Amino acid sequence: MSDNILEIKDLVVHFETDDGIVKAINGLNFNIRREKTLGLVGETGAGKTTTALSVLNLVPDPPGKIKSGTIMLDGKDVLHMTDKELEEMRGNDVAMIFQDPMTALNPVMTVGDQIAESIELHQHVSGKEAFEKAKEMLKMVGISESRAYDYPHQFSGGMRQRVVIAIALACEPKLLLADEPTTALDVTIQAQVLDMMKDLIVRRQMSMLLITHDLGVVADVCDDVAVMYAGRIVEIGTADEVFNATRHPYTEGLFDSLPNLKARGEELVPIKGLMPDPMNLPEGCTFYPRCPYATDACKAKEPQLYHMGGTHYVACTAYQDPNFRLRRNSNG
Amino acid sequence: MTKTTANAEQAVMTKESLKQFKGRSMAQETWRRLLKNKGAVIGMCFMILLIIVAILSQFIYNYEADIITMSAGSSAQAPTLQHIFGTDKYGRDIFARIIYGARYSLLIGAGSVFIGLAVGILLGSLAGFYGGFIDNLVMRANDILYAIPNIMIAVVVVSILGTSPASLLLSLSISAASAFARITRAAVMTIRGQEYVESAYAMGLPTWKVILRHIIPNCLSPIIVQVTLAIGNNIIAASSLSFLGVGIAPPMPEWGAMLSDGRQFIRSYPWMCIFPGLAIMVTVLALNLMGDGLRDALDPKMKK
Amino acid sequence: MIKYILKRLVLMIPTILLTSLLIFWAMDLTGGDPVQIILPENATVEQQEALRESMGLNDPFFVRYFNYMVGIVTGDMGQSYITGLDVFGTFMHRLPMTLALGGTALIVSVIISIPLGIWTAINQNTWKDTLGMILALFGVSMPNFWLGLMLVLLFSLKLGWLPSGGSSGFKYLILPALTVGFGLAALITRTTRSAMLDVVRQDYMTTAKAKGASYNRVIYGHGLRNAMIPIVTAIGMQFSLVMTGSALAETVFSWPGIGLLIVESINKRDTPMVTGSIILCCILMALINLAVDIIYAYCDPRIKAQYSKKG
Repeated sequence: MSDNILEIKDLVVHFETDDGIVKAINGLNFNIRREKTLGLVGETGAGKTTTALSVLNLVPDPPGKIKSGTIMLDGKDVLHMTDKELEEMRGNDVAMIFQDPMTALNPVMTVGDQIAESIELHQHVSGKEAFEKAKEMLKMVGISESRAYDYPHQFSGGMRQRVVIAIALACEPKLLLADEPTTALDVTIQAQVLDMMKDLIVRRQMSMLLITHDLGVVADVCDDVAVMYAGRIVEIGTADEVFNATRHPYTEGLFDSLPNLKARGEELVPIKGLMPDPMNLPEGCTFYPRCPYATDACKAKEPQLYHMGGTHYVACTAYQDPNFRLRRNSNG
Repeated sequence: MTKTTANAEQAVMTKESLKQFKGRSMAQETWRRLLKNKGAVIGMCFMILLIIVAILSQFIYNYEADIITMSAGSSAQAPTLQHIFGTDKYGRDIFARIIYGARYSLLIGAGSVFIGLAVGILLGSLAGFYGGFIDNLVMRANDILYAIPNIMIAVVVVSILGTSPASLLLSLSISAASAFARITRAAVMTIRGQEYVESAYAMGLPTWKVILRHIIPNCLSPIIVQVTLAIGNNIIAASSLSFLGVGIAPPMPEWGAMLSDGRQFIRSYPWMCIFPGLAIMVTVLALNLMGDGLRDALDPKMKK
Repeated sequence: MIKYILKRLVLMIPTILLTSLLIFWAMDLTGGDPVQIILPENATVEQQEALRESMGLNDPFFVRYFNYMVGIVTGDMGQSYITGLDVFGTFMHRLPMTLALGGTALIVSVIISIPLGIWTAINQNTWKDTLGMILALFGVSMPNFWLGLMLVLLFSLKLGWLPSGGSSGFKYLILPALTVGFGLAALITRTTRSAMLDVVRQDYMTTAKAKGASYNRVIYGHGLRNAMIPIVTAIGMQFSLVMTGSALAETVFSWPGIGLLIVESINKRDTPMVTGSIILCCILMALINLAVDIIYAYCDPRIKAQYSKKG
């Protein structure tokens, strides 16, 4: 048995629309270790959600097409599973928590039924048993059992996200994909939900892919971090490596645009420019037009992954020069 | 200092890339998508052709001599090269009558919809915007109209005003107004709560300007689509009423009236029934193709 | 829920009163003079005047309206000028024919068009979708009385398979029901398709797929239940179309329902018959609309909650 629950290799996903081909994911590589949490960080449009949907082989088709690559889940390639295998895998081996709890629940079914559905599908128990188990799940996420008969519109956003989590955990999956699970919630509720998730992950020995653009959440929850830009990983390593020995100019930019509560009055430095149009990606390094360290070499060729020691890798041509350092690192 | 420059720089970038990204106005974009839709283009071409022909028919045919006057000699002839749709019981050329009759269908269909649209938008936006008493009044009146099948409204109006194109126009505009009032009200109520409307208020715009500049343009797309489809519906409704004898009466060459005339001869001279009906269907089909195309063009997420 | 229904029924009363006032007034303005229709042409002025007095035609408008409304409650809506038959009785006698025609058309078209709408939606942008949509487009573009005539031409006159008019058996129902049902089916197909296309894009569909639900379960279990809401609304709005369509089909096929009754009465200027039939039709429509709203509540818990709150 491999040490990794999930291994993604050279994944390419395109959306073929009327207006052109949207290159959402362009050669993605990363692994998730067993019982560990990997934080996938990046701006909106970097391809994070598409990555999670690819793991379930649920990229909306049309227009989405998984062009190439392998996604090994516990040793089996998700992209070569039959429909039946996929159905057995989804919700049972891998479950997903969606970003917006307001739309992720079916408005015409009671929440109890929605949780029970997952149990009924995978554990071959009667409807009644499944519903009883659904009530237990509700209790586990901190909602009174009696509310199993209520409909989603009767719950607040935070409560709904708890329901979504209950659905995802109902069959005790090995891997949990959490797509910005707290973005749509109030800050106080965010902390509650996050703490609850952390606790459940540890107790049930699950692995998790946590998608977020909130570096604070990553620092709090994740063992490993992968930074994604325009459909590729630009930096990956343990949380300690990425946070304390940042190597990629983009990652540095992300940190610099974070307000620091302890050093008030300090200037924020935003990354200039916008994400490139995924229909029309720049040649060479896709971050080159926004990068403060860019040289002509960056434009010429797509950067390879450079090993920085430990499990730390970075995709930046500048590291051809062994003496290259980011400002962040050279200053302090 | 650096902070502001950075922000300004970013703002410029945003604006530029937006321009690059969009490049065209909303109307141009819609038009471009509409032209990509084969059905919509066919429908539009047909409608333009029909309108031109309807206008020209004035000069080609003489109403008295070609359309109304009976000639026993050529009674009930099957389609030939001379009379490509045949002739009716009274020897009149059916093709000429259909061409000439296009004006009734087009004018009544479009006229009733536009009258209904004007009244409906006014009442609907007032009801949706102010709510309260006005809303109640408009919606209760609407409920009453809603409970009366269209055909009954027409029967009542026609029995007051007599059978004429004008009373047909009026009765069809009443039901159109009721439909448009409902659509506008719903759209206005949704948009009224949006933040950009609140921000327009916050900038100190007077109410009527907010309605005109922010609310009406934003509920335009469901209305435009509905207009196209409603014209088609009203053309069918007008011919149905004429067919029942409560619309336009013979000898005027209205398509429904022609069908009603031809109906008794269906056994022996079926062409008297086939062609007027085909004319209605093709016209409405063209309008529906346009309406569907417009809906897809205005709401791109319904496509791919 | 029961409270809500009762409330709606009570609210219906002013609507019906107002509607009937409007119709009564309009028909009063225009209706033929019954005295000249009923009495032979050589009747004296005294005879005419005596009849007017006895029919209450000389009373002020609101007195006549009041008497009429009292009559409605007791099922007495006057007699036909032409046949002398009771209006309410005639209407009720004819109603089952229209219900049979409209009902058959509606049920058959729902059975055909909802699966067809789903089928076109899940095959969006393929030839199956195009085929279904072209068919439906013809359906909504065709005047149904013309379709009726063409069906008669083909199935009765050319092929001789089915009767072209009358009402003495099931065979007689087929062509009229097809006439009413085709346009209706086309409309419901289009509504179902666009509702399904809208629903399949929703996040909860992805949630259901991510749970491991099978394709059919996602489409029919989660999708259709949500799509039913706009579909039921659309069907509810079609009832007035069914009424209009039935009137036309009844005329084409001499089907003795209320549509034909109204058309005949108009042509004979039989005012009590027209007034009574239209008012009864409106009451029927109001009841049907209420029924649709109730079905609607069962499709969507959010609406049900609203009803209970208001009720």
